[in-house]
Amino acid sequence: MDNRTFFRGRTIFLTFIFLALIIIVLFRFFYLQVINGDELKELREKNINTFEYVYPKRGRIISKDGFVLAEDRKIFSIAVNLNVKPNEQAIKRLISIFPNKIENQYVKNIVEKSIKTGNQEVIVSKLNQQELSKFLVRSNELEGFSVIENYERIYDPHPSIFHILGHMGYLSERDKTYFKSRIDQFTPSLWRKVGQSGIERIYEEQLRGEHGKRFFLRNARGQKKVEIGKEDFTEGNDLNISINFNAQKKAYDLLDGRKGSIVVIDLRDFSIPVAVSAPSISANDLRDISSKEYQALLNDKKRPLFNRAFMGLYPPGSTIKPFFTIFALSNSYTNWQEQIYDDGFFRYAESGRVFNAWREGGHGLTDLSKALVESSNPFFMNLATRYEKDFFTNFLESGSFGKRLCVDCWPHQFSPLISDQWKTKNFGSRLFRGDLVNMGVGQGYLSVTPLHLALISAMIAKKGDYEIPFLVKKEQDIKKLNFDLTEQDWKKLHESLTQVIYSRNGTGIRIQPGDMKLAGKTGTAQVKSINSKEEYDDLRENEEFRDHAMFIGFAPYDVPRYAISVVIENGEWGGSVAGPVARDVLLEVFSAD
Amino acid sequence: MLIDLRSFLIIFSLLGIIIAGSLTVYSVTSIDAFYFVRFLLITLISIILVSLFFNYVNLNRVLSAGWLILGLNLALVLSVEIFGKEINGSKRWLDFGFLSLQPSEFMKISYALFVIQYLRFFNFKFNIFRSFLLLFILFITAAPIIIQPDLGTGLIYILSGLMLLFICGLRRIYFIFMGLSAILLSPVIYNFFLTDYQRGRIISWFSTNQSLSEKWNILQSEISIGSGGLFGDGFLNSKQNEFNFLPEADTDFIFSIFAEQFGYAGVVLVLFLLTLFVILSMVVVMQQRRLTNDMSPYYLGAYFTFIIGFSFLMNVLMVSGLIPVVGLPLPFFTKGGSSLLCFSIMLGLIFSSRGFLRG
Repeated sequence: MDNRTFFRGRTIFLTFIFLALIIIVLFRFFYLQVINGDELKELREKNINTFEYVYPKRGRIISKDGFVLAEDRKIFSIAVNLNVKPNEQAIKRLISIFPNKIENQYVKNIVEKSIKTGNQEVIVSKLNQQELSKFLVRSNELEGFSVIENYERIYDPHPSIFHILGHMGYLSERDKTYFKSRIDQFTPSLWRKVGQSGIERIYEEQLRGEHGKRFFLRNARGQKKVEIGKEDFTEGNDLNISINFNAQKKAYDLLDGRKGSIVVIDLRDFSIPVAVSAPSISANDLRDISSKEYQALLNDKKRPLFNRAFMGLYPPGSTIKPFFTIFALSNSYTNWQEQIYDDGFFRYAESGRVFNAWREGGHGLTDLSKALVESSNPFFMNLATRYEKDFFTNFLESGSFGKRLCVDCWPHQFSPLISDQWKTKNFGSRLFRGDLVNMGVGQGYLSVTPLHLALISAMIAKKGDYEIPFLVKKEQDIKKLNFDLTEQDWKKLHESLTQVIYSRNGTGIRIQPGDMKLAGKTGTAQVKSINSKEEYDDLRENEEFRDHAMFIGFAPYDVPRYAISVVIENGEWGGSVAGPVARDVLLEVFSAD
Repeated sequence: MLIDLRSFLIIFSLLGIIIAGSLTVYSVTSIDAFYFVRFLLITLISIILVSLFFNYVNLNRVLSAGWLILGLNLALVLSVEIFGKEINGSKRWLDFGFLSLQPSEFMKISYALFVIQYLRFFNFKFNIFRSFLLLFILFITAAPIIIQPDLGTGLIYILSGLMLLFICGLRRIYFIFMGLSAILLSPVIYNFFLTDYQRGRIISWFSTNQSLSEKWNILQSEISIGSGGLFGDGFLNSKQNEFNFLPEADTDFIFSIFAEQFGYAGVVLVLFLLTLFVILSMVVVMQQRRLTNDMSPYYLGAYFTFIIGFSFLMNVLMVSGLIPVVGLPLPFFTKGGSSLLCFSIMLGLIFSSRGFLRG
């Protein structure tokens, strides 16, 4: 064949292949650019656009009397500026500003890390005013470093308030489950620190605010390059709590290093103006604590981290007597006229066991009123032999045993509801009548928290109506004690409790409240079960086995405004130790009205 | 020197492609405002100088040195093993200080010159011996390139050589036979002659796993192209390039950046210019054919025209995800010196194959 024909044929063949490929390419690019263009453009935007969350400023916690108890304070730190890599000179200058805080290799390592991760790593945190101004003055010579702002939680340092406020801590697995069930759309990855206890935990959602965002364009290696926008964070809400901080501080100081608890309830709305647990720590102490120091606090025998006011279970001792008076009168187990002879001890006929009372020789002929004023154990033990178990349990239940005692206290403990089931579950046998005898004077299985004691005092003051106490928010749910008392009965009861303080024989005579009009009931709760005074004298050598001093009361007795409970561990005498403390706390509370 | 309409259109379309290429190279590198002008001037001047050189030097003289050129080029390819500088794990470049050259790029030209010189001697008549000899030389000279390892350039060299032989009239039976044996031998080649890296590239092509880096590159390339839409984001507005999402944006994947900036309209325009260039060149070649009995200028003209056209298309097919990626620069869209020089020489040879500039 002729070369030329051959050549022409093959050239045309190749030209057609070329044209076919051109058409394929045109279709392909039409598909990519016109049909799929928007989708691919979206992918490109995802490539490039990134953002970083800006941690919000947490809301403040403010006491009823206007003290700021917790707030986020701005702190300044030096961090690596990702846009310029710092040179040797700049690093040297930076070190000269913080000569004792940082050294060369440390700075270089952090710079390396920042470049690698694309995060602004912090080199020096919490600058003081002097350091900050030194840095800012020379900042143009310090290329590669910049000041960043964030917030630190600062608390009022007085230890009285720690248990109420709680503290912040790094989010743990347990926190995740806790908050997931309580906060809508809880995103664990966003929250470095969350409230670990107290108000900080219960009101996490209200306090925490919402993150802001800083928008960046980033390159393929993930380095942030340009900030292109900002969305401000939403500050958390301020919380007003019912604590009267002056009274709270006073109450803590009055405990004077002893272990114990004081709770006051405002009877007008059932808010809690005072709730103290001692000993305690400053809420700031936990912020940057090492695990070793934290362990030491946990192992401290005085248990400063334990909130006795809401968590501690104590036998109420004689302070429970007015409460059971309501029960006994409602069920006609006794009346104000009945008298028994108190000769200083009570022999329980069924078992033959003898219970010694606190006053040797007894109170003689005793009626209900005298039994309250002079605190006769034999009278109430005798009374308790008549209690019917089911009625007893029902009555306790109506008094919030086994139930929540506070709307927003954390942590928080129920007082156990004593019943056949409860005892079977815990001790393997049903309730015996002898158990009721012991409980009738606030010993044995009966135990309550100081908060519950204050609430019981409030129930008595308010003649059986009560609400669940709160620190921040009220719950619209009025409760009622299960009773059947006449107005006359209430009057007699309040009179008797007044006489505890004002009658010459009253156990609270040493309180001397002046013109405060205090009514109350003292108590001394045994830590160990004993049978005689001699036995106790031996025990008392060990401070830990000394009786707890207790007091409940309310004032003024004619129109009650506040109810109080005081528990002083191993304080021994309710009347002379716990009572005066209650008086002084109430004076402080009243002074704020 | 008069220029007729066809020649004018050919030069016009080439100029369009070169300007588009220079603009894109400038937008990718963005060194300074004068860079574009400088780059464009260097490109044009080198093309004109090389063209003039081949126009004045008689093509016959160039062709008579074909075997020498091939030998020298092969020597340079081999010398890379000794003097070459290594980039990305393969030795391909010879460093001349002001310019790094990749000698293997020029094999496409040298082999063509050699083949034309050889066949012209026999009036372009193939017999079995000549056919086998030329094929043997093609494959044996491809070996050092593939060993470098530079499978991409090696394969392109072989395909170019085969296309040349096809244009020159090698009988169809050889192509059929080679096609069949390539298919039959592919498992053997895959298992025994490819490196892990090369195998990885092939596997990734068939895999649907988007996290593989090869796939990621292609995806980023498609994102760049697609983001351009119908009319593009505008000159200097390639975000994919600005934020480094497209690897090798200044060489193999440069067309994606072009598509992102100028959109489908720009792509159509460039492909139109390319088609114009190829078709008109072929028309000229066809018509000039009647003028002389010595076919060599026309074989060369057709060959280099198709090399430019198909190289362009292959690269565009790769970046748009239609064929696997092997390192293949886009003609006139690269700042790579070898590629630019190589295509300039081709253009010079096209123009100097008589008649083009004669009107």
